[in-house]
Amino acid sequence: MSTWANLGLQDSASPLMEQLIFFHDHAFMLFFNNYVNRFLLHGQRLLYLLDEINEPSVTLKSIGHQWYWSYEYSDFNNIEFDSYMIPTNELSTDGFRLLDVDNRIVLPMNSQIRILVTAADVIHSWTVPALGVKVDGTPGRLNQTNFFINRPGLFYGQCSEICGANHSFMPIVIESVPVNYFIKWISSNNSSLDDWKQVLVS
Amino acid sequence: MSALRLIPRGNAGGNLSQMMGLSQMGRRLASGGDGIRLMVGEREVVGYGINGRPIYFDSQDCPFPAIRYREVTPELCAIREKELGDWKKLSLDDKKRLYRHSFCQTFVEFQHFTPEWKICLGVALWLVALGLSISMVLKTKMYGQLPDTFDEDRRSAQLRRMIQLQMNPITGISSKWCYEENKWKSQLH
Repeated sequence: MSTWANLGLQDSASPLMEQLIFFHDHAFMLFFNNYVNRFLLHGQRLLYLLDEINEPSVTLKSIGHQWYWSYEYSDFNNIEFDSYMIPTNELSTDGFRLLDVDNRIVLPMNSQIRILVTAADVIHSWTVPALGVKVDGTPGRLNQTNFFINRPGLFYGQCSEICGANHSFMPIVIESVPVNYFIKWISSNNSSLDDWKQVLVS
Repeated sequence: MSALRLIPRGNAGGNLSQMMGLSQMGRRLASGGDGIRLMVGEREVVGYGINGRPIYFDSQDCPFPAIRYREVTPELCAIREKELGDWKKLSLDDKKRLYRHSFCQTFVEFQHFTPEWKICLGVALWLVALGLSISMVLKTKMYGQLPDTFDEDRRSAQLRRMIQLQMNPITGISSKWCYEENKWKSQLH
């Protein structure tokens, strides 16, 4: 997530985002040194990389509503839950204002993840900057993308398409955990993990 | 003396307008207009100046204006006669008069700084003060309080949580924390 005095991109948690950051830094360096042709090639390589076909092991469905996200894991136990922002007055002392949610998306790290995004009412956009993902959720349409998380932790994002009064108050939080913890979570059908540290301990 | 040439009235800029095939209106405009003819008066045209127009101005870029600064007077004619002879016979006063006839100011005079900067600084500082007052009024009267999450204890709790979660561990905040020593890397010796 953005920390104080963050001006640039967040550190990547995905190999594709890492490449995007390299391209960004490279292009700026070349831009200021007036070499145009080289970064066109780099950009094209990245464009193809982003469209690579891979076999995802987990599929997540994300539905945007006014003004919360709901998620479905249909591969396994048909887990479904809603994810609302925690209001500022109910936040814990170390809670992040406008970012923390009641139910986080739990995903396994080092696995290809497919996400299908749609919306129930107006257009929303599902974004996680650290993973380099931004997918619009349009009513009546399924948009698909893949991503890969290469480190554990919490990754925050916010709705990126104006969707009404509380557009700024429907964040996304991914909790990336090792595969065995994910399997444990799925099998216990727990839709809410309160503290990320607990996962490590157990 | 051969260099002296008065602008004939009513025909100023005649050559130019003929070249361009202009109407009478065009000729009048090309002559520089009545304003310029009035400004020139009886002063001698002595060169091209910066754009051919018979206008006097002091400038480092164009040290030789198109016209002399003053009109011809009988006193000047006397000094001009003297100027035709040996220049060593000219007194300092004569030289100064000759200069002041052709030019308004010396280089030192027109390049000297003016007191204009005081006005500029004054106005700029007034504007800064105005801006600051407006922002102070906005801050004290109009803006509400910051949320509780901006309190020092909440912010330090959030920072501690960010470090525990290892957020931005590559080049961001967690990369500046030493997890072995439990302090900022900049505090290590």
